[in-house]
Amino acid sequence: MTQPLVPPDRSTYVALRRRREARLRRRALPDSSWGREAVRRWSTPPSLALRAFAAEAFEQIPDPPAAGVIALTRLGFGPRPGELAAFEALGATDPQRLQIWVDEQLDPASIDDSEAEARLAAASFESLDKSLVDLWQDYVVADPPWEIRMRPYFETERATLLRGLYSRRQLFELLVDFWHNHFNVYAYEFGIGPIWVHSDRDVIRANALGNFRVMLEAVAQSPAMLRFLDNRDNSVDGPNENYGREVLELHSLGVDAYYGSIPKDQVPLDGQGKPLGYVDEDVTACARSLTGWTMRDRPWDENFGDTGEFFVYEPWHDTDEKRFLDVTIPAGGAGLPDGRAALDAIAAHPATARFIARKLCRRLVADQPPQALVDAGADAFTQHAGALDQLARVVRAIVLAPEFPTFWGQKVKRPLEIALSALRSTAADWDFSLDDEDTDSLLWRSYNAGQPLFSWPAPNGYPDIKEAWITTGPRVMNWRLTNWFSEVQDDADAFRLDLLGQTPPEVRSARALADFWVDRILGRAMPAAEQDEIVEFMAQGINPDLDLPLDTDEDVQSRLRAMIGLIFMSPCFLWK
Amino acid sequence: MCELTRRGFLVGCSAGVAAMAGARFNTVAFAQGGGGENDEILVVIFLRGGMDGLHVVMPIDGVDRGFYEAARPTLQIPVTGPGAALPLDAQFGLHPSAGPLFDLFQNGNLSIVQAMGLTEVNRSHFDAMQQVERGLQSSSGAPSGWLARHLASASNLPPEMIVPSLAVGGLQPTSLLSSLETLNLSDPGQFNINTGPWLWRHPQRTALRRLWGADSTFLHTTGLQAMDAMDIIELYVDDDYTPANGAVYPQSDFGDHLQILAQMTKLDLGLQVATLDVGGWDTHAGQGQGSGGYFASLIEDLASGLGAFYLDLDGSGSANFTSRLTVVVHSEFGRELRENSDSGTEHGYGNLMMVLSGNAIGGLHGTWPGLAPGQLVDGTDVAVTNDFRRILSEVLIRRLANPQLGLIFPGYGDYQPLGIVQGEDLPPIYGDQPLFEDGFETGDTSRWSTSVG
Repeated sequence: MTQPLVPPDRSTYVALRRRREARLRRRALPDSSWGREAVRRWSTPPSLALRAFAAEAFEQIPDPPAAGVIALTRLGFGPRPGELAAFEALGATDPQRLQIWVDEQLDPASIDDSEAEARLAAASFESLDKSLVDLWQDYVVADPPWEIRMRPYFETERATLLRGLYSRRQLFELLVDFWHNHFNVYAYEFGIGPIWVHSDRDVIRANALGNFRVMLEAVAQSPAMLRFLDNRDNSVDGPNENYGREVLELHSLGVDAYYGSIPKDQVPLDGQGKPLGYVDEDVTACARSLTGWTMRDRPWDENFGDTGEFFVYEPWHDTDEKRFLDVTIPAGGAGLPDGRAALDAIAAHPATARFIARKLCRRLVADQPPQALVDAGADAFTQHAGALDQLARVVRAIVLAPEFPTFWGQKVKRPLEIALSALRSTAADWDFSLDDEDTDSLLWRSYNAGQPLFSWPAPNGYPDIKEAWITTGPRVMNWRLTNWFSEVQDDADAFRLDLLGQTPPEVRSARALADFWVDRILGRAMPAAEQDEIVEFMAQGINPDLDLPLDTDEDVQSRLRAMIGLIFMSPCFLWK
Repeated sequence: MCELTRRGFLVGCSAGVAAMAGARFNTVAFAQGGGGENDEILVVIFLRGGMDGLHVVMPIDGVDRGFYEAARPTLQIPVTGPGAALPLDAQFGLHPSAGPLFDLFQNGNLSIVQAMGLTEVNRSHFDAMQQVERGLQSSSGAPSGWLARHLASASNLPPEMIVPSLAVGGLQPTSLLSSLETLNLSDPGQFNINTGPWLWRHPQRTALRRLWGADSTFLHTTGLQAMDAMDIIELYVDDDYTPANGAVYPQSDFGDHLQILAQMTKLDLGLQVATLDVGGWDTHAGQGQGSGGYFASLIEDLASGLGAFYLDLDGSGSANFTSRLTVVVHSEFGRELRENSDSGTEHGYGNLMMVLSGNAIGGLHGTWPGLAPGQLVDGTDVAVTNDFRRILSEVLIRRLANPQLGLIFPGYGDYQPLGIVQGEDLPPIYGDQPLFEDGFETGDTSRWSTSVG
């Protein structure tokens, strides 16, 4: 008999989540009030039914900016001050600069990251360096109160934002986000939150530029995934096919290779005589191959113990023959080699190479990437299947292909990228420690913006196409989030974004201020019609070429902050 | 046949052709009705994860009760004693935590249709959801949701609609994919940008509107739409809302979202369709013990929410919204008859759908396929005896008076009403119809003025 560690009533988590949200909400800064009289004056009511959508609107996208802007916007969380200039100094031509930058980024250990490391140290997180066994002992076995129990989750969440904001290993951080979404786990769970450090550090970060087959096994054996998709309970007498199905559909071959419930021998074959995809029989065979892959979390059973580690419990393993994809796993095998044989077949299947390559192209280039680019990625995946840096080579093949810098505006930033790129471009000084109230506020507002970390409830990860993020909800809530940034002050009343201090003393006219900050935040000018609106806002009717009393007039200072909020809320800020 | 209109809307195309056009940003333009008068409100609630219909409505007598009890030693709902099923008829009972649904059923406002689903088995959550929400037999093809295509094809919408479509929640669901007239929000109280410097909030808003109006890309257009949405919430939606008739919503996201929907419904903003999502139904483990446990809390939330929502809208005179209201509740698939060893259930096939309406022909509907081994699909699952599109089509035709089934459900051609709601049976229109015959295709944009501001 198994006794689920998860309490029977999962609504407890819902209640706890809501309590946490309520706490974050209470600690969030109050918003300034907004009168309704302005809109109530209208005699004609607004209507969402009346907006024209000319066909041309969907053909129009902006011209691509310089390669450095594309690289730093799409292969990271946006440029920090000075980074675009540093990119330009890397070489004589755009392809040369891009190659040098990408090769450096794909070797993150070579990049000095002392600022992020110092800030991490200053945040005094206690769980990030603990082993899985120690995490399990301290936060599960010791059974501390909820806020302590979930500390590894809270600290991973904050450390991820800190690294996104301050790490110079930007492509690595972006790919960590990609792989977290690829192998998505809803982490704010009773049995997952306490060990989330392990998944982030030892499973995702350890393999984000590594080998897919190695990462696949690390995920399969991770306690978080064993719990999230129930393989922990998968046994010969009680098969559970939740993980067995999703590992095929979401993690490897992809749903395009799913042939439904037809008999296995009716799946069409490729040129090498391999089945082109999988059917429900393969799902069952996959789950059976992984029976007994479970974890030590049953203190009442000496066969299991209670260390939180993965192990194979042989009495649970299904030792009958399994016919899976193009392999036959013979009867009588042990649990570990049988499961590994299934993972070998998954990782080696051509559909896996195509699926992973397409997802990476969608993330790094365009929602609908060109087939040639997908093929280039898939070829690299297959060619380097045995390499320890296989995934770095796949990324390199995609982003150094000639197509890469020709794509622009066929994706828009998602909320995480919106928030981090705003904070990066303005050199925000943010403290992510657990007792920082501004971080609580940031997390609460990020939750409303639509993409809180590790919180997508389904196993497929946040959507990565623009259609999901251009509806009214994400738009307004992300405006709301970024407009707030310029007003946040720390306990000593210093602005987290020192916008005044970063404005050079000679930049004082409305036009100069707009030009300076648009270039700083976007790495380029806006189209003239849009940049003019920024200038006019800053000028407020005064000749835009006259110097404003920025150093002495608090209203002008707050207008500068509002102007920067306006740039964060502009359409140009969203293209990528 | 494949038709690519100048809106980039694909009708009846193969996946290959759709992929060729994929670099475009595909959308469905909104067919403003102009002269119509339809004031029906359709609410579609999607239960994400594969809701276990056999744990909501289960056999309480007959031979199927025996199969049910044998297959579900832990999960079975008893027939007598504490936690007993609420009898719907002599053969079927309702989960005891679904009391408010039982009351609606007794009052004739709830139709429960059994053994509904896709025409072919698909045990992938994401693929099945795509098929259901795009209204297709494959998960690729039309780059729009079925509700979006209903709005685009309805010829009887009223001349003035301020919020024709509402998606309550963080993101807009696939059923409204490419519907750009939809207001998507999760909390009206937060739906504004009043977080910047107080002194400049009005100039900032003026500038924002001008900034987003400076070009006409899809991004600019959706941004202006978001500003309009913000204006509408500010103009019409009060922070305080008191439900009518003493209705009490559950303390949950679902309860909060239903309450927002009720409030927006009562504002008479021309609401035509609305969507809500409820997650948490993928119960591979820990589903419960008999009548109690995790699933019981899910169904209690669902039932008490729907009960409160119906009561709140069930006024008299101009407050009688239930006479215009149809709520459809469905999921991507059902679950296996047999429970697994973890007090859970695996992905299955046939499932129930629910329709709650002041015009419901209440009762149990559909053809029950039986639970005997020979009656199960693949030996494990409740069979599907009716295409899910049959229910949606009946609601479209009898309530919304939109017979454009060929556009809304491409490839679906044999609709017959099941008799779950009252209404007139218009002859369905099949085939690939040019979608925009209302002058929009001629480029007459005068009817699409941007009159706001």
